Amino acid sequence: MLEGEERQALRKAVRQLAGKYGREYFMSRARAGGKTTELWREAGQLGYLGVHIPEEYGGGGGGIGDLAAVCEELATAGSPLAMIVVSPAICATVIHRFGTDEQKGKWLPGLTDGSLIFSFAITEPDAGSNSHRLTTTARRDGDDWVLNGRKTYITGVDEAHAVLVVGRTEDARTGKLKPALFVVPTTAPGIAYTRIETDLIAPEKQFALFIDEVRLPGEALVGDEDAGLMQLFAGLNPERIMAAAFATGMARYALGRAIEYAKTRQVWDVPIGGHQAISHPLAIAHINVELVRLMTQKAAHLYDHGEDYEAGEAANMAKYAAGEAAVAAIDAAIQTHGGNGLSTEYGLAAMLAAARLIRIAPVSREMILNFVAQNTLGLPRSY
Amino acid sequence: MKIVVLVKQVPDSGAERNLRAEDNTVDRASANNVINEMDEYALEEALRIQEAHGGSTVTVLTMGPERATESIRKALSMGPDGAVHVLDDALSGTDALGTSKVLAAALKRLEPDLVLCGAESTDARGQVLPHMLAERLGVAALTGARKLTVDGSQLTIERQTEEGYEVVTAATPAIVSVWDTINEPRYPSFKGIMAAKKKPVETLTLADLGVSADEAGWAGALTTVASHAKRPPRSAGVKVTDDGEGGTKLVEFLVSEKFV
Ligand SMILES: Cc1cc2nc3c(=O)[nH]c(=O)nc-3n(C[C@H](O)[C@H](O)[C@H](O)COP(=O)(O)OP(=O)(O)OC[C@H]3O[C@@H](n4cnc5c(N)ncnc54)[C@H](O)[C@@H]3O)c2cc1C
Repeated sequence: MLEGEERQALRKAVRQLAGKYGREYFMSRARAGGKTTELWREAGQLGYLGVHIPEEYGGGGGGIGDLAAVCEELATAGSPLAMIVVSPAICATVIHRFGTDEQKGKWLPGLTDGSLIFSFAITEPDAGSNSHRLTTTARRDGDDWVLNGRKTYITGVDEAHAVLVVGRTEDARTGKLKPALFVVPTTAPGIAYTRIETDLIAPEKQFALFIDEVRLPGEALVGDEDAGLMQLFAGLNPERIMAAAFATGMARYALGRAIEYAKTRQVWDVPIGGHQAISHPLAIAHINVELVRLMTQKAAHLYDHGEDYEAGEAANMAKYAAGEAAVAAIDAAIQTHGGNGLSTEYGLAAMLAAARLIRIAPVSREMILNFVAQNTLGLPRSY
Repeated sequence: MKIVVLVKQVPDSGAERNLRAEDNTVDRASANNVINEMDEYALEEALRIQEAHGGSTVTVLTMGPERATESIRKALSMGPDGAVHVLDDALSGTDALGTSKVLAAALKRLEPDLVLCGAESTDARGQVLPHMLAERLGVAALTGARKLTVDGSQLTIERQTEEGYEVVTAATPAIVSVWDTINEPRYPSFKGIMAAKKKPVETLTLADLGVSADEAGWAGALTTVASHAKRPPRSAGVKVTDDGEGGTKLVEFLVSEKFV
């Protein structure tokens, strides 16, 4: 009803492509420590990773709603690709909206067809939920910038060509620090990264990033030195919309498996789906997932129509609800499977950790509740 | 080279399909309708020929009800230049012979050098249409291709058979039907999806084609389906007990079923 013919055709096409690879492909790569490079490349070549970028940079001329559809359908077909949230959604969007013509010409075509991958780094050991505490700092040295700092839990640094780093620059007049974004090649001298081991089973890995006296050319600063905060928000709305799409895709995948299982597994006289104790939680999960999809589409629609503020509110709500709905859906799917729910073969237990992540990153559910309480409801700030 | 690809909309062969009780026709209303799988391979082959030979055009030709538009759009999103949709209420009930009459009339208008189509459709599986069309148009039929080579106006196919393949050649104009061994169809790109809506789709009625209503539909059908029944439930398989001769028996079974 809400999505046009092209969006639906795009969903179908992505589903077909991801179906060719299948869940087996994704899980076996993830468990063996490999990447899902073939799928990424093929999706890139078909234009699916750059649907939201204008045609002049090789993109499809659509919106973030199209990219969210791509992300959701991949996940629904069993291949949730986290780098879509980071590289095309956040990094390409920020560069497209705030980069100079030269920066756009240099990076967008590659980010659009997937041949170029960027990570996004804001989180620091002492600045997670509290991004006012960022200490990564850039100082001017002639035309260059010299960057110092430390980032943590940065996804995909090992597969990225560069990292879009949120740092601060010193205001020449007031001496106050203000946020600024830099494109930092992962091969730049002074860059080091080490893997943070997690119990998440995914092809994308997390890294601690060390930035030690990294010299960058003046053009590494994305956009206007004074527009740092706005630029940040421009990237964070798509990030939330995409995180919601990623989570609902995973939830739809898990529900699909659970429905199949509930129809075939028979313990007493009828398939277990005939017991309301099994069917009702699945029905509730489905309802909640559908509601989240609607909110995600609303957020994307607002964002694509330039309503940044309203989009921010909707994107946060969608992202919050997506985390809750995905965890509940996967939990119901596990319960439906009984003992098999925890088996490696069915792979649902591993999804629980992956869905759980959406309650924490890219912004925690508590920080969203803070935002809604304060900004939407006008209640006092609680921290 | 002017290429026309025949594309039929069929009920998804991966799902449960039914015949309607009242007239023994395929129930399309409640089915998930998709492009006949083999036709996607024909379309892919046409697009590859177009890419290899500059100046070629690829047109999709579909005969079917209003909702076949969905399949036409899907086909267009893969890359062809345009489509022709033969749409007429009087087409309901048309059998294979009638279909070949209508499509032949449409092809005469389009004057293609090469007609590509799937070797069969997954709903009827008659494999007769390419031959009927060739006969009506007076052109060569190269059927059941697993490989097609185009050299100027010379066409060469490897015709897939149960034992291997035969090499068959003909000059254009000709009709070539293909199996799913011929290529790997592309997925529609996002640009292709966006462009599909803007591509021209010409709608033609029976009158436009100069075919009278009593030559098609129920009126013109020379075949009728008298009755239909559900496929019987699968019978129990053959059980081979291994008393030392198990291997031989397995091979015998595989040979008898033509698996080896
Ligand atoms: C797998 C994974 C991938 C990630 N990828 C990236 C990435 O690519 N780039 C990147 O920059 N970051 C990334 N992150 C980091 C992620 O964004 C942070 O973990 C997240 O923002 C939370 O920050 P924190 O871990 O420092 O938690 P903390 O800020 O220490 O918070 C701890 C807990 O306290 C709660 N809390 C904090 N303050 C308040 C308050 N005022 N009111 C109520 N509750 C509060 C939080 O909600 C949370 O539950 C990733 C994290 C993970 C786990």
